[in-house]
Amino acid sequence: MTAQVNSSRAVRASYRALEPSRAGKVLRVVLLSVASVVTIFPFYAMVVLSLKPVAAVEFPGSLVPWPFDGGAYERVLGGGDLPVWTLNTLVYSLVSVVLVLVLASLAGYAFAKKRFPGKETMFWSFLAMVMVPYHVTLIPLFVLVASAGGVDTFWGLIVPTLANAQAVFLMRQFIAALPDELFEAARLDGASEWRIFMRIVLPLCKPILATLGLFVFLWHWNDFLWPLVVGKSTDMRTLTVGIAALQEQNVPLNVVLAGATVAFVPIFAAYLVGQRYLTEGVTMSGIKG
Amino acid sequence: MTVTVQTRPSRVRAGRRPAGARHEARWGLAFVLPCFLLFLVFRFGPAVAGTLLGFFEYTIGDSPHFTGLDNFTRMMGDPVFWQALKVTVLYTVLYLPLSIGVSLGLALLVRRSFRGVRLFRSVFFLPVITSLVLAATIFTWLFSSSGPWGKLFGGSWLASPVLVIPALVIVSVWSRFGYGMLILLARLQDVPRELEEAALSDGAGPWQRFRYVVLPQLRPAVFFLLVIETTNSFQVFDLVYVMTGGGPARSSYTLVMDLYDQGFKNFDLGYASALGVALFVLTLFVALLQRLLMGRGK
Repeated sequence: MTAQVNSSRAVRASYRALEPSRAGKVLRVVLLSVASVVTIFPFYAMVVLSLKPVAAVEFPGSLVPWPFDGGAYERVLGGGDLPVWTLNTLVYSLVSVVLVLVLASLAGYAFAKKRFPGKETMFWSFLAMVMVPYHVTLIPLFVLVASAGGVDTFWGLIVPTLANAQAVFLMRQFIAALPDELFEAARLDGASEWRIFMRIVLPLCKPILATLGLFVFLWHWNDFLWPLVVGKSTDMRTLTVGIAALQEQNVPLNVVLAGATVAFVPIFAAYLVGQRYLTEGVTMSGIKG
Repeated sequence: MTVTVQTRPSRVRAGRRPAGARHEARWGLAFVLPCFLLFLVFRFGPAVAGTLLGFFEYTIGDSPHFTGLDNFTRMMGDPVFWQALKVTVLYTVLYLPLSIGVSLGLALLVRRSFRGVRLFRSVFFLPVITSLVLAATIFTWLFSSSGPWGKLFGGSWLASPVLVIPALVIVSVWSRFGYGMLILLARLQDVPRELEEAALSDGAGPWQRFRYVVLPQLRPAVFFLLVIETTNSFQVFDLVYVMTGGGPARSSYTLVMDLYDQGFKNFDLGYASALGVALFVLTLFVALLQRLLMGRGK
């Protein structure tokens, strides 16, 4: 008994010894606060400058929030191209999320739990392609899509991005860890394969689907190069491409930043809701942000 | 390479009827095929075509004709290519230590739990999910002669041929350090407490504990980050495109900028593909080199 108490006291003492000293703790909070301010500052500047009149860009006066002027928002939201670009980005992101999740969970389930001819070959060819940089495929991909009439269309924008190897791996990894008995039992009860997938596999995959869905949404919402080459007309631009074009055309800063703020709001909302899934996705499997 | 793969030996289930195996194979194929076909058409095909196209002269609407190594010899004699290579390598060399250093420093600071630690971690991840285009628009102002950085240093870094690359590196570090921090943090939390306690009771100070106990444990995670971030910085495009367009006077002109201009401005698709092949070879070469160096240090 006494020995136990002593050892637990010793553990607590050593626990404390690894913790920083009082001064160390203060220093830690100071350093982290400075780093946070540096991290947040660009967002703050983006929002405040978007609420300034055209000419007020000189630092430091431009970073005082008051008085503000909503002119830039009136300009980007009323009548400009931004609502169209927002809609395009929403279509691009949401349709891709749904299709990638469906395709990847089907393929992931088959790779994890089914035996079929050519399985290993297919799997390793997926794997090999992860190592080939996107830019090697960019030119032929564009030629392919362009010759099929896909420039300035939603299908041309979306379909080529659905071949997402990382998503397939992630689903395979998750489903492989589910016990086989679950599927066997349903099969013995006479459930069809399709029914097993819909009623057993998908519900069990909810957490990983949430994580993957958020990442796919972010990748598409923030994507730049592919929408840039496929969306040639102003009407087919996504937000990133549109905002880059505004910046290039020397549109006033407050207007560009109002557009940027509008583009940032959904991302921020997704982050507030799904932060846990995002950070878990990164730490568990190293998905790229 | 961001996902670990384990292939299990295929199990032979006793008493399984051949009809059942056929049924399973049919459904397995049906589930994989939609994905696999997309993959063949939009990833595998273009990757092969992209490599081949590097040996052809080709522009849209024309038929490709084989030119052997012409594109590559042209590349070797093209000062724009060498400039792009120089810029890309310089950018990577500056970016890697800075970004991994910042990630590591902050991971160590938010390692132990204390009041508010979760808030700090959330804040640091915010730039990671922000698009580079948005980062580029606001940082363009921050660096401009009207912005705080420009005022502090008496001029715009983006207009300076020497300082433009450090400016781009700073933006990249800002946008990526939270990712590295999370990866390292996950690893740090797996370092057994007993190891550090043992070192402590042997009289090791904080620096010695970090250097000889914690750092060796972090090695795989640092290597992972190094490979991912090298690949990323070889492909830097969005930031450069929006912030500088490669200027001033090509002093921030990267390889992917060159590829983009050749392919989508000059429509010289063969040469652009050859640039893609060069980028791939460069990436592979550096990944192998890193593997050798990290392996030897063990």
